[in-house]
Amino acid sequence: MDFGPHLFLALLEGLVGAFVLALTALGLSLVFGVMRIVNVAHGAFFMLGAVVTWWVSTATGSFLAALLAAPVVVGAVAILADRLVLRRIGYEPESTIVATIGLLYILEQVVLMTYGPYARPVAAPIYFRIDFPWFGYSGYKLVVAAVAGLLLVLAWLVLSRTTLGLYLRATQQDREMAQTFAVPVERVYTLAFGVGGGLTALAGALIVPVQQAHYLMGLDALLMSFVVVILGGLGSLRGTVVAALVVGLSDGVISVLFSPTLAKIVATLLVALVLAVRGRGLFGEEAA
Amino acid sequence: MAAVTPILETRAIVKRFGGLEAVSGVDFRLARGEVRALIGPNGAGKTTLVGLISGRLSPTAGRVLFAGRDVTGLGPWDRVGIGIVYTFQITSVYRRLSVRDNVLLAAQRRHLRRLADWVMLDRQRLTHEVDAALESVGLADLADRPAAVLAYGHQRLLEIAMALALEPALLILDEPTQGLAMGEIDALCRLVRNIAERATVLLIEHNIAVVLELAGRITVMDHGRVIAEGAPREIETHPEVQRAYLGRRSRSTP
Amino acid sequence: MEGGRAVLALHLGVLGLLGALQFLLPPFHHGMVARIMVLAAYAIGYNLLLGYTGLMSLGHATFFAAGMYGAGLTIQHWGFGVAAGFLVGVVGALAAAFVVGVVTLRTVGPAFLIVTLMLAQAFYLATLYFNEITLGEQGFALAGLNVTLGDWRLDLARPAVKYNAALAVLAVCLLGSLALVRSPLGRALVALRENEERTQLLGYNTYRLRLVAVLASGLTSGLAGVTYTLLFGYVGSTFAGVLYSIYPLLWTLLGGAGTTLGPLIGTLLMTYAVDVASGITDAYLIVVGAVLVAAVLWAPAGVVGGIRTRWARWLP
Repeated sequence: MDFGPHLFLALLEGLVGAFVLALTALGLSLVFGVMRIVNVAHGAFFMLGAVVTWWVSTATGSFLAALLAAPVVVGAVAILADRLVLRRIGYEPESTIVATIGLLYILEQVVLMTYGPYARPVAAPIYFRIDFPWFGYSGYKLVVAAVAGLLLVLAWLVLSRTTLGLYLRATQQDREMAQTFAVPVERVYTLAFGVGGGLTALAGALIVPVQQAHYLMGLDALLMSFVVVILGGLGSLRGTVVAALVVGLSDGVISVLFSPTLAKIVATLLVALVLAVRGRGLFGEEAA
Repeated sequence: MAAVTPILETRAIVKRFGGLEAVSGVDFRLARGEVRALIGPNGAGKTTLVGLISGRLSPTAGRVLFAGRDVTGLGPWDRVGIGIVYTFQITSVYRRLSVRDNVLLAAQRRHLRRLADWVMLDRQRLTHEVDAALESVGLADLADRPAAVLAYGHQRLLEIAMALALEPALLILDEPTQGLAMGEIDALCRLVRNIAERATVLLIEHNIAVVLELAGRITVMDHGRVIAEGAPREIETHPEVQRAYLGRRSRSTP
Repeated sequence: MEGGRAVLALHLGVLGLLGALQFLLPPFHHGMVARIMVLAAYAIGYNLLLGYTGLMSLGHATFFAAGMYGAGLTIQHWGFGVAAGFLVGVVGALAAAFVVGVVTLRTVGPAFLIVTLMLAQAFYLATLYFNEITLGEQGFALAGLNVTLGDWRLDLARPAVKYNAALAVLAVCLLGSLALVRSPLGRALVALRENEERTQLLGYNTYRLRLVAVLASGLTSGLAGVTYTLLFGYVGSTFAGVLYSIYPLLWTLLGGAGTTLGPLIGTLLMTYAVDVASGITDAYLIVVGAVLVAAVLWAPAGVVGGIRTRWARWLP
C-alpha cells in the first residue's frame, strides 16, 4: 500500500479507537471527579463488560440483549463493591487504591476460573464492508464509533439536563456544599461508581466483535483511560473526549505505521511527564 | 538606631492569590531583640505576611532581607536554618509521634551539618536539649505520650517547645493564645518574655491585653497594607487604627 | 536506649533462625525460602518508601527489573563476570530511581502513584519492544554463574550457596533498614510521611528527603533484583510487569507497612499462600486480590503492625 492510503487506514483505525477510548475513560473520569478516588479496577470492569457480552450473546443469540446486559451486570458489581468495601473504608485515597487493586485481581481471576483463559469472539451483529479504492474496511467498526459517539452525547445530556447530573456535578464541585443542599452524597457516590462501571462495560461490549473477550484485556484499557483522563483534566467530560480523540488518533497512527508497543510507550511517558510537571495537579489542590 | 541593620526587612512585598491581593507592597522592619505585635482585623494579610517571611509562601513581587541578607529565594527549610522559625496558627504537631519525638525532630535539625550526621548524632546531647525544651514549657511529664492525646493548650505549648529547640533568632508566633484558658495565657506570656531575652519575637495576636503586655511596638495591618506602627500608647489613639477597627465593627453590627 | 539492644537482638535472632533453618528444611522448602529471602529484600526496599516516607508507588518493578536487566544483559551479551554484572545492575537500579525520583518530585498522593505506574509501564513495554536483546516475556537463562576469589570458587547453582547468599543480602537489607529508620534521616522521613509542611518548617528540605528516600528504596529493590538474577539465573519481562509492582505493596501491607520485620513476614506468608493456591487452581492470583481487600478492611496495620499496637509498642 502507498503511504497515503496507509495513513488513511491508520487514521480510520485511530478514529474508531478514539471513540471507544472516550467511552471507556468517561466512567473513570466521572469516578475521579465525583468521588476523588483512583479506581484501579476500572479496566476490570471493561473486561467484565466484554465477557458478559460474550456470555449473553452466546446464550441468547442476541447481541442487543448482551449490549443491555453488560452495563447492568457490571454496574451491579460496581455498586456491590462500593457498598461492601469502599464505603466501609470511607473512600480514604490510599486504602481505596489498594482495595480496587484487590478487586481487579478478584474479578480477573473469577473470570479466569469460569470463562477460562481463551480469547473468544462474538459475531458482529451487523456485517458489511465499505470498499475504499485501496482497501475494504469493516462497517461494524464505523458503527461502533458512531454508537460510542451517541452514548457520549447521551451521557452529556444526562449530566447537564437531569437531577442526577446536577447531583453529580454539585458533589464534584464541593462535597460539603452539596451535602448542605441536601444532596444525598453517599448515594451519589454509589451511583457514580455504578454508572462509571456501566459506561466502561458498554465500551467493552461494543469492542468484543472487533477484539474478542479475554480475561487480561483490562490492563490496557485501564492504562489508556488513565492517560486520557489525566491529559484531559480530571472530571472534565469535554477534556476527556478531546484527549481521547488526540490519544486515540496518535495511537492508531503510531500503531499502524510503527508498532503498537511504541505507541503505548509514547502515551505512558507523555502522561507521566504531564503529571510530573503539573505536580499537585490531580485533584487541583493547589488553590489557596 | 537608624544605622543599625534591622534583623528583618521586607521591601515592597506583594502577594496575590488569583485576583485577590492579600499583601500590597509592605515595607516592614524589625529591629534585633524587639518584641513586635502584628495586629489587624481578620483578612488584613497578617498570616500571609508572616508566610512570606517564613517562606511558606513565595511573594508575587518584592524582597525579604534577614540580617542584611536577601533571603527571598530561599526555601522555608533554609530560612529555618538561619534562624527564622514559625509556629503555626492551627496547631500542626506530629499527632502520631510522641511529644519527645516531636521536639527531637526540631532539636536534631540544627546538628545535621555533615552527611555523617544524618546517620548518627550524639544521642546524649540531643536528649539533653529535648528535655530542656520540654522543661521550659512545662511538658516534661508528658514526654512519652503521643502528641494527639494532649489537651489543646498543651499542643500549643508543644509547638513552642519545637520552636525553642530550633534556637530561633526570629520567632514568629501566629496567634499563640488562641483557644487557651486564662491561666494558660498568663503562663504563655511569661514564656514569651523569657524567649525574648534570646530572640526577636514577632507576634500575631488578637488578644489586646496580651499585645499590650508583651509588645514593645505594634504594627497594624488592614487590607494588605501597614496602616500604623508605633508604641502601644500611640497605636491606641491612632485615628486610622480606630477607623479600621471601629469601621469594621459598625459594619457588622446591624 | 535500653530498647535498642533488644530490638537488634530480635532482628539478629530472626536472621539466625533463617540461617539455622537451612539445615532442617527439605529441598523444596529450602529453595522456596531462599527465593523468599530475596523477594523480602525487595519488599524491604518498597517499605522504605511506603512505610517510612508515606509514598505509595505502583512502579517498583522498574527498580527490581533494572537491577535484573543491568546484570543479566551485560553478563549475557558482553560476557561480564558476576561481580561486574552485579555492579552494573545496582548502578542501573540507582539510575532508574534517580529518574523516577526527579520526575515525581513534586507529585503527591494519587499523582505519585499514577506517574510511577506509567513510568514502570513504559519500562515494561520497552523490555518487550527491544525483544531482540531481552527476548521479551520469554526471557533468557544465565547458566554456570560462579564467583572466584583467588583459588576459591563459589558455584551459584549450588543450593547451599544460593541460600546463604540470599540470607546475606536479606541481612544487609534488613539491618540496613533498621539502621536507617533509627537514624536522624529515618526520623526525618517519618516526619515527612506524617506532615510535609510541618517538616519543611522544621528546617528539612522535603524535596531532597523524598529524592533520598526514592534512591534508597530503588537501590534496595534493585539489589534484590540483581541477586534474584544471579542466584536463579533468569531474566524476563514478567519481572518488570505490573504484578511485580503490586507484589511488594501486598507483601508490605500484609506484614505491616512501617515496620522493619513486616515485609519479611508478609513475603513469607504471601509466597506460600500463592504457592498453595497455584496447586489448587490456575486462577491462583485470586488470593492476591482477596488478601489486598481483606487487609484494607480488617487489618490495615498488617501482621507486625497489629502486634505492635497490641503487645509490643517498642517494635521498630
